[in-house]
Amino acid sequence: MNIELLHQPESAIACVSLDSGEELVAQAGAMIAMSSSINASTTLRKGKGGGVMGGLKRMVAGESLFLSVFRSPTDGNTIWLAPKLIGDLLIYELKGQDLIVQATSYLACSSEVDLDVGFQGFKSLFSGESIFWLTFSGHGLALLASFGGIYEIDVDGEYIVDTGHIVAFEKSLNFSIAKASSSLIGSFLGGEGFVCRFKGKGKVFCQTHNPGAFGSTVGSKLPPR
Amino acid sequence: MEYEIKYKPAFSAIFVTLEPGEKIIAEAGAMASMDSQVNIKTELAGDLFSALAKKFLGGESLFVNVFSNETKQNLNLVLTQSVVGDIAEIELHGKDMYFQPGAYIASTPGIKIGVRWAGWASLIAGEGLFKLRLSGKGKVWFGAYGGITKKAINGQFIVDTGHLVAYEPGIEMGIKLSNGLIGSLTSGEGFVNRLSGRGNIYLQSRSIGGLVGFLRSKVR
Repeated sequence: MNIELLHQPESAIACVSLDSGEELVAQAGAMIAMSSSINASTTLRKGKGGGVMGGLKRMVAGESLFLSVFRSPTDGNTIWLAPKLIGDLLIYELKGQDLIVQATSYLACSSEVDLDVGFQGFKSLFSGESIFWLTFSGHGLALLASFGGIYEIDVDGEYIVDTGHIVAFEKSLNFSIAKASSSLIGSFLGGEGFVCRFKGKGKVFCQTHNPGAFGSTVGSKLPPR
Repeated sequence: MEYEIKYKPAFSAIFVTLEPGEKIIAEAGAMASMDSQVNIKTELAGDLFSALAKKFLGGESLFVNVFSNETKQNLNLVLTQSVVGDIAEIELHGKDMYFQPGAYIASTPGIKIGVRWAGWASLIAGEGLFKLRLSGKGKVWFGAYGGITKKAINGQFIVDTGHLVAYEPGIEMGIKLSNGLIGSLTSGEGFVNRLSGRGNIYLQSRSIGGLVGFLRSKVR
């Protein structure tokens, strides 16, 4: 499997070359073009988060229930993937370490990567904002999307990221939800609310823009549905 | 204070390095990420009246966050805006600068934030009854939806509503039908903002109003 990113950073898309027997699992709706010999199917992902219960869990969590699986029967097929929002893409290689990914940043991964929706570390702490998290583990490539540019922070010690700006982080980091300001009132009045405090050693991938903030800037001016 | 605006122009974000003892003031919600030792304090934007006016009349938050470095080493901080687009920086030397609602992102401690009456013409021009006034000495960072163009005007100049981001105090706003009554209604330009005076203005290449207008027709 080989991934090439084009049109970075504003309108990044990924061109994935698949060899015989290789499989790519993608967020439903991510495929924009592909070789005609690639077989596409839809799945409830098996494994820890798979099966009917896993599917229900995903449904409850608001995360897309179905994932698309693209299988290449022969060498040299290509598939093109794009996220919905404008922004950059990132290729992340899993080598046994776990990566926690914000669900809306998930674009695709190779089928050897184990994808679990069970990560509940941040659940229900964000009032009004539905943020869900996926755990990637195993070996293989993952494709992540951001709203805006992606910057990588090598955390060694402690680092704070606004929850709307997290794309993904390595599970080697300890994290806790903290108030941004020293006083609780200040935290909310100051508009930062809860932030994520990472501790330890590992990488955090942040996006320059917060999709939720842009959504409310525009959405508040639109008529109710 | 060291800073760099990265990912220009579409996804601009301000990467700031605070040296020991330094401070930066930012609009509520502007912080994307930072070193954990950075101290945050939430303050009213200016005095109570200005803060209230800023919130209810200027379309900005009632509060600002003051980020300070009280440690002995350099600390990093990333600030951004909610819309995608460019961010620019200007230096004020005691002269005022007026900003449209939502444009202000951050400033250095010597800058005072206040609100000024902008007038009925401004309201009709779609720019709001009040404007944000920044004064004092220091740096101000402001953002736009799309690219930012600086233009020096001397005399009269016409700007479409929703594209003006910032302007200097020497400039007055007036309202005008772009092309007579019928022409204005049919050309889609409607009211335009007739500026007069002398000074610099900053324009944004897209307007949120334009995006909203497009999307509104698609929502059902």
